[in-house]
Amino acid sequence: MTSLGRRRQSLDMQTRIIGITFVAVLLALGLSARALDQAAAQGGTVQAPRFEVDPMWPKPLPNGWLMGMTIGVGVDARDHVWIVHRVDTLSANEVGAAQNPPTGTCCKPAPPVLEFDTDGTLLHSWGGPGQGYEWPESNHGIFIDHKGIVWLGGNVGADAQILKFTQEGKFVAQFGRSGQGKGSNDTVNFGRPAKIFVDPRQNEAYIADGYLNKRVVVIDADTGVFKRYWGAYGNKPDDTNPGPYDPNAPPIQQFRTPVHCSDLSVDNLVYVCDRPNNRLQVFTREGKFVKEAFFFKKTLGDGAVWDVAFSKDPQQKYLYLADGKNERVNVLLRDTLELLTSFGDGGRQPGQFFAVHSIATDSKGNIFTTETYEGRRLQKFVYKGIAQVPRNQGVVWPGK
Amino acid sequence: MQRTVGATIAALLAVTIGGALAEPRGTNVVAQARGGAAAQAPAFQVDPLWPKPLPNHWILGSVTGVAVDSRDHIWIVHRGADSLTARTENGLGTDPPTAEECCRPAPAVLEFDSAGNLVSSWGGPGQGYDWPMTPGGIAVDAKGNVWITAAGWPEPPAARGGGAGRGRAAGAAGAGAAGAGAAPTPAPAPPARPFDAHILKFSPTGQFLQQFGKPGTSEGSAGKATFNRPAGLAFDASANEIYVADGYTNRRIVVLDASTGAYKRHWGAYGTAPDDATLPPYDPAAPPAKQFRTVGCVELSQDGQVYVCDRQNNRIQVFRKDGTFVKEVIVSKGTLGNGSVWDIALSPDAAQRYLFVADGQNHTVAILVRETLAANGTLGSGGRWPGAFYAVGSVAFDSKGNLYTGETFEGKRVQKFAPRR
Repeated sequence: MTSLGRRRQSLDMQTRIIGITFVAVLLALGLSARALDQAAAQGGTVQAPRFEVDPMWPKPLPNGWLMGMTIGVGVDARDHVWIVHRVDTLSANEVGAAQNPPTGTCCKPAPPVLEFDTDGTLLHSWGGPGQGYEWPESNHGIFIDHKGIVWLGGNVGADAQILKFTQEGKFVAQFGRSGQGKGSNDTVNFGRPAKIFVDPRQNEAYIADGYLNKRVVVIDADTGVFKRYWGAYGNKPDDTNPGPYDPNAPPIQQFRTPVHCSDLSVDNLVYVCDRPNNRLQVFTREGKFVKEAFFFKKTLGDGAVWDVAFSKDPQQKYLYLADGKNERVNVLLRDTLELLTSFGDGGRQPGQFFAVHSIATDSKGNIFTTETYEGRRLQKFVYKGIAQVPRNQGVVWPGK
Repeated sequence: MQRTVGATIAALLAVTIGGALAEPRGTNVVAQARGGAAAQAPAFQVDPLWPKPLPNHWILGSVTGVAVDSRDHIWIVHRGADSLTARTENGLGTDPPTAEECCRPAPAVLEFDSAGNLVSSWGGPGQGYDWPMTPGGIAVDAKGNVWITAAGWPEPPAARGGGAGRGRAAGAAGAGAAGAGAAPTPAPAPPARPFDAHILKFSPTGQFLQQFGKPGTSEGSAGKATFNRPAGLAFDASANEIYVADGYTNRRIVVLDASTGAYKRHWGAYGTAPDDATLPPYDPAAPPAKQFRTVGCVELSQDGQVYVCDRQNNRIQVFRKDGTFVKEVIVSKGTLGNGSVWDIALSPDAAQRYLFVADGQNHTVAILVRETLAANGTLGSGGRWPGAFYAVGSVAFDSKGNLYTGETFEGKRVQKFAPRR
């Protein structure tokens, strides 16, 4: 679907021309820069959900706690925000108080699972190895299902399991066994599963599987019994190494690891993040291929399609796509997968990103993002309603 | 770093804190009364939306220096691509690019106005001078010229994080390849380069003016024509002298003629002759070292005192301008690793009543009463959100009493803290 990209460029050009015209006219009228900004936005001719970062959310963590690579975010039925981060990615420089002997008074790693209320206050924290389950080598992805259960995956080394906990951190169930993964056609274990999404109507869990396997797996959410699985285009998955991604080559017939999300919409479509292939593939619940779209197709390495979240209107009209390589959140029209607008840019300030990895929405339509690598933040983007916005919004600060 | 214009900020000092302030981010000054005295200290609030977003998808590398000029413009120097992770962070700055939209390193020297607008940007290798392998401090003199020390040491990328400079961490914080589940791309071996041993002077627009010292050339801490990884500098306009914190390898303060760079005098810890013999690792239980360990900064007060950051000895030593030792204070004595005393800013009230000490190991800014060197609270703690710090290594005030901080390692930010009134 390179046509999407061409169309975007064409619209960008139109935006610029219209924008220049507006600027010229308004300059002649002697209007303010702010008015010019607003006019340019209107000249962008795109109507989409608008967001502003809340730079002071969440509140500071207690106990001198820090987050490492933050590689999952979920929102529960009370709009509490849950994250999972990698404790062992914090450098000795950062967590001097946790060294032996301590090298400083600051800081310590926070427990891997953190729950925040809507005000951004940390409520609960737990996680890590324990009795009766195999904590992942590298926890990855978090989801809170309709029963309030917290699901976690793991994406490194021998990780081949999914874990379920209560919201208080009590172990509930483990599906798959560490070190037992047997590839993309295994029907018991996973292959470094990245993310979980639970369908409350069917009580089925969709597993983006994963960093080693190249498939989507659907399991019974209570028993973990495999019900079905599929690869790209609904093909039987094949673990043959496809070689490096080539933007000029025809799209490959398999997912490219990591398969990084598999989220189900209200109208029963499964949106799969085929991350380094820079594509989103859409399926029916049964795994029948529906359509695909490519984004920032020249992106190499980590790829452009990291995670998705749905807008909170009843129809889920919009799809929010996190791109941790180009450092932005893309707003898509879900029906057509058209890229309407993007916000964010690279950097360490509010509303900027370094490796925006995971995305989720609450019942108010607010967006929450987490950043991996050295980004290591949870950020909140406040939903401001449907508005005329530029195609490329840049950093969305309050009052801008 | 150095400010050249003094200004009275009585209001800054009039703020009295009693009990807990309901602060956003919890990073503001907490006054700590000493000896029963009334708790009184300047209080600050982070401006989370300063500076404004950079253009061109520019991002900062590890920030090694922050300075404020006489117009209250804020100057920073950062390490650029050298400190960015090519695979994850520098998607537009690599060949071939790995991203379509973001990001690339900003030029090494950036000038912001007080509103946070980017005013100018320049820096990097050029004709007639040796751009540092790793910049150290930045300072702006009374004429608006911009001085940068060269503080780098050649090391393989695998060892990045093993050095002692402001941009180098003592423990490794690398690419974090596990984040994407992919193996890190091995970085190519760096070109063989001599260590940094020089000071550069540019016009405000980035035109090269002067270089003192040569890379790879050092006579040690007794040398009269050379430096070794100088970390920062300060001006004495009345005497037309510059004071150099020399440095990450040398163990001295050296004073130069500001016009010619000619050597005038130098001294080591306690005002004695510096000795480059290897020191045992810092031990908080041992008597204070007789030598500087890492000379990370030098600042002059308006009443003629010279303040020196002895970083990995966790101490500030105070001298007269002739090098006579006056006194010292230990800050967070138990600190290991990179040490607690990275940079100092003197408060901009007429009496320069407080010292603000960047402590990049404990991720805070310590506040001392200048006269007594007594601890008087801290500002900030560890983290990546606004008002929090990772490796805060640079501090500077403007004439209005706003405090600016620079973070190195993976902090990679410049932040503004406004006085609460």
